[in-house]
Amino acid sequence: MNLKNDHYTVFKASKHKKCDFIFLSILLATCVTLTGCGSSETNVVAGNKSGTLYWGNGTEPQSLDPQIATGVPEHHVISAVMEGLVLKDRKTLEPRPGVAKTWDISNDGRVYTFYLRENAKWSNGDAHTAHDYVWSWWRALQTTLGNQYAYMLFPIKNAKRYYDGETSDFSDVGVKAIDNRTLQVTLTNPTPYFLQLLDHYSLFPVHQATIEKFGRADERGTRWSYEGNLVGNGPYKLEEWKINRHITVTKNPYYWDEANVSINSIVFKPVDNAVTEERMFRAGALHVTSSIPADKIAIYQEKSAPELKITPYLGTYFYRLNINTPQLQDKRVRRALGMAIDRKQLVDNITKGGQIPAYTMTPPGTMGYFPESTLNFDPEAAKRLLAEAGYPNGEGFPPIEILYNTNEGHRKIAVALQEMWKNYLNIDIKLLNQEWKVYLATESAGDYQISRGGWIGDYVDPNNFLDMFLCNGGNNRTGWCNEEYDRLILEVAPSQSSHEQRLKIFQQAETILLEDMPIIPVYTYTSIKLLHPSVRNFDDNILNQAMYKDLYLDANL
Amino acid sequence: MNSSIEENSSSLWKDAWIKLSKNRLALFGLAILCILIITSLLTPLIAPYSYEAQNLELGATSPSIQHWLGTDIFGRDMLTRIMYGGRVSLMVGFIATAVALVIGILWGAVAGFFGGRVDAVMMRIVDMLYALPFMIFIILLMVVFGRNILLLFFAIGAVEWLTMARIVRSQVMALRNQEFVEAANSLGLSQWTIIRRHIIPNTLGPVIVYTTLTIPSVMLLEAFLSFLGLGIQPPQSSWGLLINYGVETMEEFPWLLIFPGIALSLTLFALNFLGDGLRDALDPRASKD
Repeated sequence: MNLKNDHYTVFKASKHKKCDFIFLSILLATCVTLTGCGSSETNVVAGNKSGTLYWGNGTEPQSLDPQIATGVPEHHVISAVMEGLVLKDRKTLEPRPGVAKTWDISNDGRVYTFYLRENAKWSNGDAHTAHDYVWSWWRALQTTLGNQYAYMLFPIKNAKRYYDGETSDFSDVGVKAIDNRTLQVTLTNPTPYFLQLLDHYSLFPVHQATIEKFGRADERGTRWSYEGNLVGNGPYKLEEWKINRHITVTKNPYYWDEANVSINSIVFKPVDNAVTEERMFRAGALHVTSSIPADKIAIYQEKSAPELKITPYLGTYFYRLNINTPQLQDKRVRRALGMAIDRKQLVDNITKGGQIPAYTMTPPGTMGYFPESTLNFDPEAAKRLLAEAGYPNGEGFPPIEILYNTNEGHRKIAVALQEMWKNYLNIDIKLLNQEWKVYLATESAGDYQISRGGWIGDYVDPNNFLDMFLCNGGNNRTGWCNEEYDRLILEVAPSQSSHEQRLKIFQQAETILLEDMPIIPVYTYTSIKLLHPSVRNFDDNILNQAMYKDLYLDANL
Repeated sequence: MNSSIEENSSSLWKDAWIKLSKNRLALFGLAILCILIITSLLTPLIAPYSYEAQNLELGATSPSIQHWLGTDIFGRDMLTRIMYGGRVSLMVGFIATAVALVIGILWGAVAGFFGGRVDAVMMRIVDMLYALPFMIFIILLMVVFGRNILLLFFAIGAVEWLTMARIVRSQVMALRNQEFVEAANSLGLSQWTIIRRHIIPNTLGPVIVYTTLTIPSVMLLEAFLSFLGLGIQPPQSSWGLLINYGVETMEEFPWLLIFPGIALSLTLFALNFLGDGLRDALDPRASKD
């Protein structure tokens, strides 16, 4: 899913208070500290007693409709109020039973039969049946809904054909409710990661009666997912949604595993300024933050604070190159740009969070996949390539523009990159920042030259990182198209019988991608957050997903 | 007739200078401003380092012999960055304020002097512009004309004149029925001449004070726009931007906030002292020594 990352807000300048922003931020810090030291107890202390978890969620979710949302903050809320057939183990990410109690997989790995729980219910008490999945996945594949994650369903037989309009009969698609408690799914190819997909929100079930009450099934932005309306099947139900203030979820009494849900309610706070969020954490207003300012990391490390959690994160920070830009059409130029980045300097001195320099799109170690890279840091070779492409010592190279979404962290990286390319290649780079939604629109429209990107794994498989760059893929956005690459990803890799063989095909595809370089990998993410010690069972996994129903709060801390 | 007015007005300025030179604080402000402006003009010649050359390994260091004001997180010399930032900030401050001043004074003076229907129409236009969200206005300008520093200066000026117009209008309303204006009227002076020779000099006091307040607020406005990607872009910088970035790390690297803050405050004080002095000096109602 798209990662906006820790973004910092700007002081709001009203017409008459332009010079107040410095004082405002100081005031804010004081207020937060005061609430922390005041006579009333902090959120964290009170929450530990009452069983309320205060969660720094980064930003305001765009939508809680699982078939429309695409981002990480949305995911945090949706996975509290909804649940898929299968859950993941909080440590190993192995599949574990969710709504489905058990399941069978046919010998050829193509037919999955799920047996749903007798006591599965919606949060309004309605019976939750296999038919809900058939209807939800039908909805997810409606082109009029504009589901950007529709391709997550494409492993299902005929799902892609139905989505592309090649068949209009949904009964062709390989999903069938045999009875109320039995769901049969037929896949085109044995897809080793299919069970993981079921824990992704694009395949979550949605409540048909609620959606139809508030609009058409394929209508975007209806009120069905708002406060008071939303009906889900997760461990929590949506209690309150105050825009830009908080989202509160409370225990769902109809949840099948209700007895094992320990925390009574979770309050998601949309604090999109990392500096403010860190102060709130210090003042005891939050149990968990979504990020931490890069320059604060060293301070926490020095006093080896147990709150600081830096863990591997399955995600890649990269730059998209729009290959329709005249000076970027030559792949030697693109390679030269990729080779003239000193990634080690970047991660050591700018991001400072233990990130790993990335030379491939897929993070190394994904399902035992350790891709080899043809990319390295070699300014001399980069200079030669640029000269071969007709720009000796950068002469005659038209200035090029880097687009990034307004955020302190992204700005720092872009500024460092600007200087590296100036230094090593002698080319002029301009920077352009835009607000998150504008930036996404600009990028999707292909109206940029170089643009920063970040991709966080939805499931643990190299496929998740490589199928973004298929010709005309929804998340490709570079204009790059390579038929051999498409063939490897779409046809050759899925039909391999052994895992090792699949990985070899992915390696071939990755090599094509890196040779052509429509994207420049920069670093592999680490998840960096502050976590209060009273939160237990918050285990680290590379998708940075918490299993809410396993969490509990230790009131002794 | 004309020549006597010339004499009068030239003596106004002469008087003003005499009064101003007796005001130590104002002279101090003037001196500081002159130093800042001259430094800004000479920056490309005297800056100790390049404002864009990075040294990531060095990173943020506190003030030292090599770097008098320390370095930022990219290892760039802060003194150099503040000097270059001053060029942008002072330029935006003066140009945008000048634009606001010219439009605001003329608009307010005309509206206030003629009153009645002219006043109503002109001030309703001001009200309408006030209601127009400032950001949308600037973004529209940027979309139509592209990103350009000079345009940014004018855009800010084109927004800032509204308050100026109101101040001048209220002053003029108070002045226009006074005896000396009626006297000028009865002497047959054209209305334009009356505005120019009598009304505007009498409104200078509040205008100058407001101007000295406008300059720093314009500088911060520029930082805000630049932060949104509408103003100047890295590696260039301005005081407002430096302060804005400094706030983010004020606990770890306080010098990144303190020094640009000092530069901006110094300018602000200097402008205020000078403005105060000028107001006293230019007040035609004040007794002549």
